Amino acid sequence: MTAPQGILCYSEEVDRARELLRYCRARDLAAGGPVAAAILGETSPDTPAHLAEAGAQTVYRMSASPPPLPDPHVLAPALASIIREVQPELVLVSSTKRGRELAGRVAGLLDLVAETGVTDLRREGDRWVLEREALSGNAIAQESLSAPVAVIAMTPGLEAPAVPPAPLAVRDVAGSFPPPLTELRERRKKSGGGVRLEDAERIVTVGRGLRQREDIPLVESLARALGAAVGCTRPLAAEAGWFSDDHWIGLTGHRVKPKLYVAVGVSGAVQHLVGMRGSRLVVAINKDPNAPIFQQADYGVPGDLYQLIPALLKVLGASVGTPS
Amino acid sequence: MGDELRIGVAVKHGIDVGLVKADPSTGTVDLSSAPRKTSDFDKNAVEEAVRIRERRGKGQVTAISVGAPAARESLREALAIGADEAILVSDPALPQPDTRAVARALAAVYRKVGGFDLFLFGEGSTDHFSGLVGPRVAGELGIPSLSHVRRLQVQDGEIEVERDLEEEVEVLRARGPVVVTVGQEINTPRLPTFMANLKASKREIRQWTLTDLGLSGTVLQSHLRTDRVAVPQVPRKRQVLSGSSPEEVAQRLLSVLRSEGVLP
Repeated sequence: MTAPQGILCYSEEVDRARELLRYCRARDLAAGGPVAAAILGETSPDTPAHLAEAGAQTVYRMSASPPPLPDPHVLAPALASIIREVQPELVLVSSTKRGRELAGRVAGLLDLVAETGVTDLRREGDRWVLEREALSGNAIAQESLSAPVAVIAMTPGLEAPAVPPAPLAVRDVAGSFPPPLTELRERRKKSGGGVRLEDAERIVTVGRGLRQREDIPLVESLARALGAAVGCTRPLAAEAGWFSDDHWIGLTGHRVKPKLYVAVGVSGAVQHLVGMRGSRLVVAINKDPNAPIFQQADYGVPGDLYQLIPALLKVLGASVGTPS
Repeated sequence: MGDELRIGVAVKHGIDVGLVKADPSTGTVDLSSAPRKTSDFDKNAVEEAVRIRERRGKGQVTAISVGAPAARESLREALAIGADEAILVSDPALPQPDTRAVARALAAVYRKVGGFDLFLFGEGSTDHFSGLVGPRVAGELGIPSLSHVRRLQVQDGEIEVERDLEEEVEVLRARGPVVVTVGQEINTPRLPTFMANLKASKREIRQWTLTDLGLSGTVLQSHLRTDRVAVPQVPRKRQVLSGSSPEEVAQRLLSVLRSEGVLP
Protein backbone atom coordinates (compact mmCIF):
# COMPACT_ATOMS: atom_id res chain seq x y z
CA MET A 1 0.00 0.00 0.00
CA THR A 2 1.34 3.44 -0.86
CA ALA A 3 1.45 6.19 1.72
CA PRO A 4 -1.54 8.54 1.75
CA GLN A 5 -0.93 11.51 -0.48
CA GLY A 6 -2.66 14.74 -1.41
CA ILE A 7 -5.74 16.50 -0.14
CA LEU A 8 -9.42 15.79 -0.68
CA CYS A 9 -11.87 18.70 -0.22
CA TYR A 10 -15.59 18.38 0.29
CA SER A 11 -18.49 20.64 1.10
CA GLU A 12 -22.10 20.25 0.05
CA GLU A 13 -21.96 23.97 -0.72
CA VAL A 14 -19.98 24.48 -3.91
CA ASP A 15 -18.68 27.91 -2.87
CA ARG A 16 -17.28 26.50 0.35
CA ALA A 17 -15.67 23.60 -1.53
CA ARG A 18 -14.09 26.12 -3.90
CA GLU A 19 -12.77 28.11 -0.95
CA LEU A 20 -11.13 24.98 0.50
CA LEU A 21 -9.59 24.11 -2.88
CA ARG A 22 -8.19 27.60 -3.47
CA TYR A 23 -6.81 27.68 0.06
CA CYS A 24 -4.93 24.42 -0.58
CA ARG A 25 -3.66 25.37 -4.00
CA ALA A 26 -2.61 28.92 -3.11
CA ARG A 27 -0.46 27.60 -0.24
CA ASP A 28 0.59 24.41 -1.95
CA LEU A 29 -0.57 22.52 1.12
CA ALA A 30 -0.41 19.25 -0.77
CA ALA A 31 3.31 19.90 -1.41
CA GLY A 32 3.03 18.82 -5.01
CA GLY A 33 0.60 16.00 -4.22
CA PRO A 34 -2.83 15.88 -5.83
CA VAL A 35 -5.63 18.20 -4.73
CA ALA A 36 -9.01 16.66 -5.33
CA ALA A 37 -12.65 17.41 -4.67
CA ALA A 38 -15.58 15.14 -3.98
CA ILE A 39 -19.15 15.48 -5.20
CA LEU A 40 -21.65 13.44 -3.24
CA GLY A 41 -24.82 13.08 -5.22
CA GLU A 42 -25.00 16.68 -6.34
CA THR A 43 -26.51 16.72 -9.79
CA SER A 44 -25.77 20.16 -11.24
CA PRO A 45 -23.78 19.49 -14.44
CA ASP A 46 -21.66 22.63 -13.87
CA THR A 47 -20.27 21.66 -10.48
CA PRO A 48 -17.22 19.67 -11.68
CA ALA A 49 -16.12 22.60 -13.84
CA HIS A 50 -16.59 25.02 -10.94
CA LEU A 51 -14.42 22.82 -8.75
CA ALA A 52 -11.73 22.39 -11.42
CA GLU A 53 -11.68 26.14 -11.89
CA ALA A 54 -10.86 26.48 -8.17
CA GLY A 55 -7.97 24.07 -8.57
CA ALA A 56 -9.39 20.56 -8.18
CA GLN A 57 -7.14 18.31 -10.25
CA THR A 58 -9.55 15.41 -9.95
CA VAL A 59 -13.23 15.57 -9.13
CA TYR A 60 -14.48 12.33 -7.60
CA ARG A 61 -18.18 12.05 -8.13
CA MET A 62 -20.61 9.65 -6.56
CA SER A 63 -23.97 10.12 -8.22
CA ALA A 64 -27.41 9.26 -6.99
CA SER A 65 -30.86 9.78 -8.29
CA PRO A 66 -32.69 11.33 -6.58
CA PRO A 67 -29.83 13.22 -4.90
CA PRO A 68 -29.36 12.31 -1.24
CA LEU A 69 -30.35 14.68 1.53
CA PRO A 70 -27.63 16.82 3.12
CA ASP A 71 -27.66 14.34 5.96
CA PRO A 72 -24.43 13.12 7.58
CA HIS A 73 -25.81 9.58 7.89
CA VAL A 74 -26.12 9.41 4.14
CA LEU A 75 -23.06 11.47 3.16
CA ALA A 76 -20.50 10.17 5.66
CA PRO A 77 -20.38 6.55 4.41
CA ALA A 78 -20.15 7.83 0.82
CA LEU A 79 -17.33 10.23 1.70
CA ALA A 80 -15.63 7.42 3.64
CA SER A 81 -15.63 5.18 0.58
CA ILE A 82 -14.12 7.97 -1.54
CA ILE A 83 -11.45 8.50 1.14
CA ARG A 84 -10.63 4.78 1.00
CA GLU A 85 -10.27 4.97 -2.76
CA VAL A 86 -8.33 8.26 -2.97
CA GLN A 87 -6.10 7.68 0.10
CA PRO A 88 -5.48 11.38 0.81
CA GLU A 89 -3.36 12.52 3.73
CA LEU A 90 -5.90 15.21 4.57
CA VAL A 91 -9.62 15.50 4.14
CA LEU A 92 -10.83 19.09 4.37
CA VAL A 93 -14.43 20.01 5.07
CA SER A 94 -16.10 23.23 6.19
CA SER A 95 -16.46 23.91 9.91
CA THR A 96 -20.15 24.71 9.74
CA LYS A 97 -22.59 22.89 12.02
CA ARG A 98 -23.33 20.36 9.27
CA GLY A 99 -19.65 20.17 8.32
CA ARG A 100 -18.53 19.44 11.88
CA GLU A 101 -21.12 16.72 12.26
CA LEU A 102 -19.97 15.18 8.98
CA ALA A 103 -16.32 15.43 10.06
CA GLY A 104 -17.10 13.67 13.34
CA ARG A 105 -19.12 10.92 11.71
CA VAL A 106 -16.54 10.21 9.01
CA ALA A 107 -13.75 10.25 11.61
CA GLY A 108 -15.77 7.84 13.77
CA LEU A 109 -16.44 5.52 10.82
CA LEU A 110 -12.78 5.37 9.78
CA ASP A 111 -11.19 5.92 13.23
CA LEU A 112 -9.28 8.96 11.97
CA VAL A 113 -7.84 11.90 13.87
CA ALA A 114 -10.02 14.99 13.37
CA GLU A 115 -10.16 18.63 14.34
CA THR A 116 -12.64 21.40 13.70
CA GLY A 117 -12.76 25.20 13.78
CA VAL A 118 -9.35 25.42 12.15
CA THR A 119 -8.47 28.90 10.92
CA ASP A 120 -4.96 28.26 9.63
CA LEU A 121 -3.13 25.19 8.45
CA ARG A 122 0.42 24.63 7.29
CA ARG A 123 2.88 21.83 6.76
CA GLU A 124 6.01 21.68 8.86
CA GLY A 125 8.20 18.73 8.01
CA ASP A 126 6.23 15.57 8.60
CA ARG A 127 3.50 17.18 10.66
CA TRP A 128 0.71 19.69 10.26
CA VAL A 129 0.54 22.83 12.34
CA LEU A 130 -2.92 24.24 12.78
CA GLU A 131 -4.49 27.16 14.51
CA ARG A 132 -7.95 27.22 15.96
CA GLU A 133 -10.03 29.11 18.45
CA ALA A 134 -9.97 27.69 21.94
CA LEU A 135 -11.39 28.45 25.38
CA SER A 136 -14.79 29.49 24.03
CA GLY A 137 -13.19 31.71 21.45
CA ASN A 138 -11.11 33.65 23.95
CA ALA A 139 -7.82 32.16 22.87
CA ILE A 140 -5.98 30.92 19.82
CA ALA A 141 -4.50 27.47 20.15
CA GLN A 142 -1.69 26.15 18.04
CA GLU A 143 -1.79 22.40 17.62
CA SER A 144 0.43 19.97 15.81
CA LEU A 145 -0.90 16.92 14.13
CA SER A 146 1.09 13.88 13.17
CA ALA A 147 -1.18 11.23 11.73
CA PRO A 148 -0.99 9.60 8.33
CA VAL A 149 -4.58 10.67 7.57
CA ALA A 150 -6.74 13.30 9.26
CA VAL A 151 -10.06 15.07 8.79
CA ILE A 152 -9.92 18.82 9.29
CA ALA A 153 -12.90 21.15 9.33
CA MET A 154 -11.82 24.65 8.32
CA THR A 155 -13.67 27.73 9.53
CA PRO A 156 -15.38 29.43 6.55
CA GLY A 157 -13.96 32.75 5.42
CA LEU A 158 -10.45 31.49 4.65
CA GLU A 159 -8.05 33.65 2.76
CA ALA A 160 -8.33 31.89 -0.56
CA PRO A 161 -7.08 33.89 -3.54
CA ALA A 162 -7.73 32.88 -7.12
CA VAL A 163 -5.53 30.08 -8.42
CA PRO A 164 -4.80 28.79 -11.92
CA PRO A 165 -7.67 26.50 -12.92
CA ALA A 166 -6.99 22.79 -13.28
CA PRO A 167 -8.02 20.90 -16.41
CA LEU A 168 -11.36 19.21 -15.85
CA ALA A 169 -10.94 15.58 -14.81
CA VAL A 170 -13.96 13.76 -13.42
CA ARG A 171 -13.79 10.26 -11.98
CA ASP A 172 -17.10 8.59 -11.33
CA VAL A 173 -16.96 6.48 -8.21
CA ALA A 174 -19.17 3.43 -7.97
CA GLY A 175 -21.12 3.12 -4.79
CA SER A 176 -24.45 3.86 -3.29
CA PHE A 177 -25.81 6.04 -0.54
CA PRO A 178 -27.30 4.30 2.48
CA PRO A 179 -30.88 5.11 3.43
CA PRO A 180 -31.28 8.04 5.82
CA LEU A 181 -31.38 7.11 9.51
CA THR A 182 -33.58 10.04 10.38
CA GLU A 183 -36.82 11.38 9.03
CA LEU A 184 -36.87 15.05 8.08
CA ARG A 185 -40.22 16.48 9.17
CA GLU A 186 -39.60 20.11 8.50
CA ARG A 187 -36.89 22.46 7.29
CA ARG A 188 -37.39 26.19 7.41
CA LYS A 189 -35.20 29.21 6.88
CA LYS A 190 -34.68 31.21 10.03
CA SER A 191 -36.66 34.38 9.97
CA GLY A 192 -34.19 37.23 9.91
CA GLY A 193 -35.14 40.81 10.64
CA GLY A 194 -32.71 41.86 7.94
CA VAL A 195 -30.20 42.86 10.62
CA ARG A 196 -26.58 42.40 9.63
CA LEU A 197 -24.77 43.12 12.89
CA GLU A 198 -21.44 42.21 11.29
CA ASP A 199 -21.74 45.35 9.13
CA ALA A 200 -22.98 47.74 11.82
CA GLU A 201 -20.85 50.79 12.64
CA ARG A 202 -22.40 51.18 16.06
CA ILE A 203 -24.19 48.67 18.22
CA VAL A 204 -26.17 49.01 21.45
CA THR A 205 -26.37 45.61 23.12
CA VAL A 206 -28.67 44.80 25.97
CA GLY A 207 -28.33 42.00 28.49
CA ARG A 208 -30.13 40.59 31.46
CA GLY A 209 -30.10 43.98 33.18
CA LEU A 210 -33.27 44.66 31.19
CA ARG A 211 -36.13 43.76 33.52
CA GLN A 212 -38.93 43.08 31.10
CA ARG A 213 -39.71 42.76 27.43
CA GLU A 214 -41.80 45.94 27.55
CA ASP A 215 -38.60 47.91 28.18
CA ILE A 216 -37.06 47.02 24.81
CA PRO A 217 -38.25 50.34 23.26
CA LEU A 218 -36.05 52.16 25.76
CA VAL A 219 -32.99 50.39 24.35
CA GLU A 220 -34.19 50.80 20.77
CA SER A 221 -34.58 54.53 21.33
CA LEU A 222 -31.00 54.83 22.51
CA ALA A 223 -29.81 52.81 19.52
CA ARG A 224 -31.77 55.04 17.16
CA ALA A 225 -30.43 58.22 18.76
CA LEU A 226 -26.86 56.93 18.40
CA GLY A 227 -27.42 55.60 14.86
CA ALA A 228 -26.76 52.10 16.16
CA ALA A 229 -28.09 48.59 15.56
CA VAL A 230 -29.55 46.64 18.48
CA GLY A 231 -27.80 43.54 19.76
CA CYS A 232 -28.53 41.28 22.69
CA THR A 233 -26.88 38.62 24.81
CA ARG A 234 -27.71 34.92 24.67
CA PRO A 235 -30.28 34.79 27.49
CA LEU A 236 -32.44 37.45 25.83
CA ALA A 237 -32.52 35.64 22.50
CA ALA A 238 -32.23 31.97 23.33
CA GLU A 239 -33.89 31.79 26.73
CA ALA A 240 -36.33 34.68 26.95
CA GLY A 241 -37.03 34.83 23.22
CA TRP A 242 -37.29 38.64 23.37
CA PHE A 243 -35.05 38.99 20.31
CA SER A 244 -34.54 36.85 17.22
CA ASP A 245 -31.19 35.08 16.77
CA ASP A 246 -29.90 37.69 14.33
CA HIS A 247 -29.52 40.12 17.25
CA TRP A 248 -27.54 37.69 19.38
CA ILE A 249 -23.86 38.53 19.87
CA GLY A 250 -21.49 35.93 21.27
CA LEU A 251 -19.70 32.65 20.78
CA THR A 252 -22.64 30.85 19.20
CA GLY A 253 -24.23 34.07 17.92
CA HIS A 254 -22.72 36.84 15.83
CA ARG A 255 -19.17 38.20 16.00
CA VAL A 256 -19.18 41.95 15.53
CA LYS A 257 -16.63 44.69 14.91
CA PRO A 258 -18.31 48.10 15.16
CA LYS A 259 -16.61 51.44 15.81
CA LEU A 260 -18.72 51.82 18.94
CA TYR A 261 -20.13 49.07 21.13
CA VAL A 262 -22.40 50.09 23.98
CA ALA A 263 -23.16 47.22 26.38
CA VAL A 264 -26.16 48.02 28.55
CA GLY A 265 -27.01 45.74 31.45
CA VAL A 266 -24.53 43.17 30.12
CA SER A 267 -22.54 41.34 32.78
CA GLY A 268 -19.81 40.15 30.42
CA ALA A 269 -19.86 36.33 30.29
CA VAL A 270 -16.88 34.94 28.40
CA GLN A 271 -19.14 33.65 25.65
CA HIS A 272 -20.40 37.17 25.08
CA LEU A 273 -17.00 38.84 25.21
CA VAL A 274 -15.87 36.73 22.25
CA GLY A 275 -18.62 38.19 20.11
CA MET A 276 -17.74 41.83 20.90
CA ARG A 277 -13.96 41.55 21.02
CA GLY A 278 -13.50 43.09 17.58
CA SER A 279 -15.16 46.37 18.61
CA ARG A 280 -12.99 49.49 18.40
CA LEU A 281 -14.44 51.30 21.42
CA VAL A 282 -16.48 49.68 24.14
CA VAL A 283 -18.80 51.45 26.59
CA ALA A 284 -20.36 49.50 29.46
CA ILE A 285 -23.32 50.59 31.55
CA ASN A 286 -24.07 48.27 34.46
CA LYS A 287 -25.52 48.54 37.96
CA ASP A 288 -22.90 46.17 39.35
CA PRO A 289 -19.55 48.01 39.49
CA ASN A 290 -17.81 44.63 39.74
CA ALA A 291 -19.35 43.20 36.56
CA PRO A 292 -16.65 41.59 34.37
CA ILE A 293 -17.75 43.73 31.42
CA PHE A 294 -15.97 46.75 32.97
CA GLN A 295 -12.63 44.95 32.55
CA GLN A 296 -13.29 44.80 28.81
CA ALA A 297 -14.58 48.36 28.41
CA ASP A 298 -12.89 51.59 27.40
CA TYR A 299 -15.45 53.64 29.28
CA GLY A 300 -17.41 52.17 32.13
CA VAL A 301 -20.46 53.80 33.62
CA PRO A 302 -21.52 52.13 36.86
CA GLY A 303 -25.20 52.91 37.18
CA ASP A 304 -28.77 51.96 36.51
CA LEU A 305 -29.68 51.72 32.85
CA TYR A 306 -33.20 52.88 33.73
CA GLN A 307 -31.74 56.22 34.81
CA LEU A 308 -28.86 56.48 32.38
CA ILE A 309 -30.67 55.73 29.13
CA PRO A 310 -33.33 58.43 29.72
CA ALA A 311 -30.54 60.85 30.65
CA LEU A 312 -28.62 60.01 27.47
CA LEU A 313 -31.77 60.45 25.40
CA LYS A 314 -32.44 63.79 27.02
CA VAL A 315 -28.94 65.05 26.30
CA LEU A 316 -29.19 63.72 22.74
CA GLY A 317 -32.51 65.53 22.33
CA ALA A 318 -34.30 62.27 21.61
CA SER A 319 -37.25 60.62 23.25
CA VAL A 320 -38.46 57.12 24.02
CA GLY A 321 -40.92 55.72 21.56
CA THR A 322 -41.43 54.08 18.23
CA PRO A 323 -39.84 55.68 15.18
CA SER A 324 -42.03 58.19 13.41
CA MET B 1 -37.01 1.39 22.69
CA GLY B 2 -38.49 -0.02 25.87
CA ASP B 3 -40.70 1.76 28.30
CA GLU B 4 -37.83 2.25 30.70
CA LEU B 5 -35.62 4.58 28.74
CA ARG B 6 -31.92 4.11 29.25
CA ILE B 7 -30.21 7.44 28.86
CA GLY B 8 -26.45 7.96 28.75
CA VAL B 9 -24.92 11.41 29.19
CA ALA B 10 -21.30 12.26 28.46
CA VAL B 11 -19.78 14.80 30.83
CA LYS B 12 -16.47 16.58 30.37
CA HIS B 13 -14.47 17.94 33.26
CA GLY B 14 -13.02 20.77 31.23
CA ILE B 15 -11.12 23.97 31.75
CA ASP B 16 -12.97 26.73 33.57
CA VAL B 17 -12.62 29.26 30.78
CA GLY B 18 -13.86 32.12 32.93
CA LEU B 19 -10.98 31.62 35.38
CA VAL B 20 -8.18 31.16 32.89
CA LYS B 21 -5.48 33.75 33.32
CA ALA B 22 -2.91 34.47 30.66
CA ASP B 23 0.68 35.10 31.66
CA PRO B 24 0.87 38.86 31.11
CA SER B 25 4.45 38.73 29.80
CA THR B 26 3.82 36.08 27.14
CA GLY B 27 0.06 36.32 26.61
CA THR B 28 -0.10 32.53 26.79
CA VAL B 29 -2.04 30.19 29.05
CA ASP B 30 -0.73 27.17 30.89
CA LEU B 31 -3.62 24.76 30.50
CA SER B 32 -2.15 22.06 32.71
CA SER B 33 -2.63 24.21 35.79
CA ALA B 34 -5.91 25.86 34.74
CA PRO B 35 -8.89 25.37 37.08
CA ARG B 36 -11.52 22.94 35.86
CA LYS B 37 -15.27 22.53 36.01
CA THR B 38 -18.08 20.71 34.22
CA SER B 39 -18.34 21.84 30.62
CA ASP B 40 -21.34 24.19 30.27
CA PHE B 41 -23.35 22.40 27.59
CA ASP B 42 -22.81 19.02 29.26
CA LYS B 43 -24.81 20.32 32.20
CA ASN B 44 -27.65 21.07 29.80
CA ALA B 45 -27.34 17.48 28.55
CA VAL B 46 -27.55 16.09 32.11
CA GLU B 47 -30.50 18.35 32.91
CA GLU B 48 -32.32 17.25 29.75
CA ALA B 49 -31.72 13.57 30.54
CA VAL B 50 -33.06 14.00 34.07
CA ARG B 51 -36.10 15.94 32.80
CA ILE B 52 -36.95 13.19 30.30
CA ARG B 53 -36.81 10.61 33.10
CA GLU B 54 -38.89 12.83 35.39
CA ARG B 55 -41.55 13.40 32.74
CA ARG B 56 -41.86 9.68 32.04
CA GLY B 57 -41.70 8.73 35.69
CA LYS B 58 -39.17 6.01 34.99
CA GLY B 59 -35.90 5.35 33.28
CA GLN B 60 -32.24 5.33 34.11
CA VAL B 61 -29.72 8.15 33.58
CA THR B 62 -26.05 7.18 33.46
CA ALA B 63 -23.45 9.94 33.48
CA ILE B 64 -20.06 9.04 32.01
CA SER B 65 -16.82 10.97 32.04
CA VAL B 66 -13.54 10.10 30.36
CA GLY B 67 -10.42 11.75 31.72
CA ALA B 68 -8.35 12.35 34.80
CA PRO B 69 -9.55 11.15 38.24
CA ALA B 70 -10.56 14.76 39.02
CA ALA B 71 -13.47 14.25 36.60
CA ARG B 72 -15.24 12.65 39.57
CA GLU B 73 -16.16 16.19 40.54
CA SER B 74 -18.19 16.63 37.38
CA LEU B 75 -19.80 13.23 37.83
CA ARG B 76 -20.82 14.22 41.36
CA GLU B 77 -22.44 17.31 39.92
CA ALA B 78 -24.32 15.15 37.41
CA LEU B 79 -25.51 12.91 40.27
CA ALA B 80 -26.59 15.98 42.23
CA ILE B 81 -28.62 17.23 39.24
CA GLY B 82 -30.32 13.83 39.21
CA ALA B 83 -28.33 11.20 37.31
CA ASP B 84 -28.91 7.69 38.70
CA GLU B 85 -25.39 6.40 38.30
CA ALA B 86 -21.96 7.55 37.22
CA ILE B 87 -19.05 5.90 35.43
CA LEU B 88 -15.54 7.29 35.25
CA VAL B 89 -13.17 6.03 32.58
CA SER B 90 -9.69 6.90 33.69
CA ASP B 91 -6.40 5.33 32.84
CA PRO B 92 -2.84 6.37 33.66
CA ALA B 93 -1.89 5.26 30.14
CA LEU B 94 -4.00 8.09 28.77
CA PRO B 95 -3.75 11.08 31.08
CA GLN B 96 -5.02 13.55 28.51
CA PRO B 97 -7.27 11.76 26.03
CA ASP B 98 -8.08 13.61 22.80
CA THR B 99 -11.49 13.67 21.12
CA ARG B 100 -10.78 10.40 19.31
CA ALA B 101 -9.82 8.57 22.51
CA VAL B 102 -12.78 10.02 24.43
CA ALA B 103 -15.18 8.98 21.67
CA ARG B 104 -13.70 5.47 21.45
CA ALA B 105 -13.98 5.09 25.23
CA LEU B 106 -17.58 6.34 25.28
CA ALA B 107 -18.54 3.97 22.47
CA ALA B 108 -16.89 1.14 24.43
CA VAL B 109 -18.88 2.05 27.56
CA TYR B 110 -22.06 2.05 25.47
CA ARG B 111 -21.29 -1.49 24.31
CA LYS B 112 -20.24 -2.72 27.75
CA VAL B 113 -23.44 -1.56 29.47
CA GLY B 114 -25.61 -2.99 26.70
CA GLY B 115 -26.41 0.32 24.99
CA PHE B 116 -28.57 3.36 25.69
CA ASP B 117 -31.78 4.36 23.97
CA LEU B 118 -30.62 7.93 24.03
CA PHE B 119 -27.01 9.09 24.36
CA LEU B 120 -26.79 12.80 25.16
CA PHE B 121 -23.81 15.13 24.70
CA GLY B 122 -23.15 18.84 24.89
CA GLU B 123 -22.84 20.17 21.33
CA GLY B 124 -19.28 21.20 22.12
CA SER B 125 -17.11 21.62 25.19
CA THR B 126 -16.52 25.03 26.73
CA ASP B 127 -12.76 24.70 26.44
CA HIS B 128 -12.20 22.86 23.16
CA PHE B 129 -15.52 23.16 21.30
CA SER B 130 -14.74 20.73 18.51
CA GLY B 131 -18.28 19.31 18.38
CA LEU B 132 -16.75 16.01 17.30
CA VAL B 133 -17.29 13.60 20.16
CA GLY B 134 -21.04 12.97 19.80
CA PRO B 135 -20.97 12.47 16.00
CA ARG B 136 -17.82 10.31 16.31
CA VAL B 137 -19.49 8.01 18.82
CA ALA B 138 -22.56 7.77 16.59
CA GLY B 139 -20.36 7.06 13.56
CA GLU B 140 -18.47 4.33 15.33
CA LEU B 141 -21.67 2.75 16.67
CA GLY B 142 -23.54 3.16 13.37
CA ILE B 143 -26.46 4.92 15.03
CA PRO B 144 -28.03 8.26 14.09
CA SER B 145 -26.83 11.52 15.59
CA LEU B 146 -28.89 14.65 15.88
CA SER B 147 -26.73 17.67 16.60
CA HIS B 148 -27.39 21.20 17.86
CA VAL B 149 -30.74 20.25 19.35
CA ARG B 150 -32.75 22.86 21.20
CA ARG B 151 -35.98 20.93 21.71
CA LEU B 152 -36.35 17.22 22.34
CA GLN B 153 -39.42 15.02 22.71
CA VAL B 154 -39.68 11.32 23.25
CA GLN B 155 -42.94 9.87 22.03
CA ASP B 156 -44.12 6.39 21.10
CA GLY B 157 -40.61 5.05 20.93
CA GLU B 158 -39.50 7.87 18.66
CA ILE B 159 -37.34 10.86 19.33
CA GLU B 160 -38.29 14.14 17.73
CA VAL B 161 -35.91 17.07 17.85
CA GLU B 162 -35.68 20.59 16.61
CA ARG B 163 -32.15 21.47 15.60
CA ASP B 164 -30.68 24.87 15.10
CA LEU B 165 -28.32 25.31 12.15
CA GLU B 166 -26.73 28.56 11.00
CA GLU B 167 -29.47 29.56 8.59
CA GLU B 168 -32.10 26.92 9.10
CA VAL B 169 -34.18 25.12 11.67
CA GLU B 170 -34.88 21.43 11.13
CA VAL B 171 -37.36 19.10 12.79
CA LEU B 172 -36.17 15.50 12.62
CA ARG B 173 -37.36 12.16 13.91
CA ALA B 174 -35.40 9.05 14.63
CA ARG B 175 -35.85 5.74 16.38
CA GLY B 176 -33.47 4.95 19.20
CA PRO B 177 -30.74 4.26 19.84
CA VAL B 178 -29.68 7.76 18.92
CA VAL B 179 -26.99 10.28 19.82
CA VAL B 180 -28.25 13.80 20.53
CA THR B 181 -26.08 16.85 21.11
CA VAL B 182 -27.64 19.83 22.84
CA GLY B 183 -26.88 23.52 23.20
CA GLN B 184 -27.56 25.92 26.01
CA GLU B 185 -30.93 26.91 24.59
CA ILE B 186 -32.55 23.59 25.42
CA ASN B 187 -32.96 24.25 29.15
CA THR B 188 -31.55 25.96 32.21
CA PRO B 189 -29.79 23.39 34.38
CA ARG B 190 -31.04 23.34 37.96
CA LEU B 191 -28.79 24.34 40.80
CA PRO B 192 -28.62 21.24 42.99
CA THR B 193 -29.76 21.76 46.57
CA PHE B 194 -27.40 21.36 49.48
CA MET B 195 -29.01 18.01 50.29
CA ALA B 196 -28.67 16.82 46.68
CA ASN B 197 -25.00 17.72 46.72
CA LEU B 198 -24.48 16.00 50.04
CA LYS B 199 -26.19 12.82 48.82
CA ALA B 200 -24.21 12.88 45.57
CA SER B 201 -20.95 13.17 47.48
CA LYS B 202 -21.66 9.82 49.14
CA ARG B 203 -22.60 7.94 46.00
CA GLU B 204 -20.35 5.37 44.47
CA ILE B 205 -18.79 6.15 41.13
CA ARG B 206 -17.80 3.15 39.05
CA GLN B 207 -14.32 3.40 37.63
CA TRP B 208 -13.12 1.59 34.54
CA THR B 209 -9.72 1.52 32.87
CA LEU B 210 -9.14 1.17 29.15
CA THR B 211 -8.39 -2.51 29.69
CA ASP B 212 -11.79 -2.95 31.34
CA LEU B 213 -13.24 -1.62 28.09
CA GLY B 214 -11.08 -3.77 25.83
CA LEU B 215 -9.15 -0.74 24.60
CA SER B 216 -5.44 -0.08 24.44
CA GLY B 217 -3.70 3.09 25.57
CA THR B 218 -1.11 2.63 22.83
CA VAL B 219 -3.70 2.62 20.07
CA LEU B 220 -5.42 5.65 21.55
CA GLN B 221 -2.34 7.82 22.01
CA SER B 222 -3.07 11.27 20.69
CA HIS B 223 -1.75 12.38 17.33
CA LEU B 224 -2.88 15.89 18.03
CA ARG B 225 -0.92 17.99 20.50
CA THR B 226 -1.65 21.50 21.75
CA ASP B 227 1.61 23.43 21.54
CA ARG B 228 0.53 26.85 22.63
CA VAL B 229 -2.58 28.69 23.74
CA ALA B 230 -2.45 32.46 23.41
CA VAL B 231 -5.03 34.93 24.60
CA PRO B 232 -5.22 37.85 22.21
CA GLN B 233 -5.12 40.93 24.41
CA VAL B 234 -7.39 43.74 23.37
CA PRO B 235 -6.13 46.73 25.30
CA ARG B 236 -9.03 48.70 26.78
CA LYS B 237 -8.83 52.04 28.53
CA ARG B 238 -10.97 50.94 31.48
CA GLN B 239 -11.89 54.47 32.50
CA VAL B 240 -14.79 54.93 34.86
CA LEU B 241 -17.13 57.84 34.22
CA SER B 242 -19.18 59.25 37.04
CA GLY B 243 -21.01 62.41 37.94
CA SER B 244 -23.41 63.95 40.41
CA SER B 245 -26.47 63.16 38.30
CA PRO B 246 -27.35 60.77 35.44
CA GLU B 247 -27.52 63.80 33.11
CA GLU B 248 -24.04 64.88 34.03
CA VAL B 249 -22.68 61.35 33.38
CA ALA B 250 -24.59 61.25 30.10
CA GLN B 251 -23.07 64.60 29.04
CA ARG B 252 -19.61 63.39 29.92
CA LEU B 253 -20.01 60.08 28.09
CA LEU B 254 -21.33 61.68 24.91
CA SER B 255 -18.56 64.26 24.77
CA VAL B 256 -15.96 61.51 25.27
CA LEU B 257 -17.52 59.48 22.44
CA ARG B 258 -17.49 62.53 20.14
CA SER B 259 -13.85 63.25 20.88
CA GLU B 260 -13.05 59.59 20.21
CA GLY B 261 -14.64 60.08 16.81
CA VAL B 262 -17.22 57.31 17.19
CA LEU B 263 -20.20 59.67 17.26
CA PRO B 264 -20.84 62.49 14.82
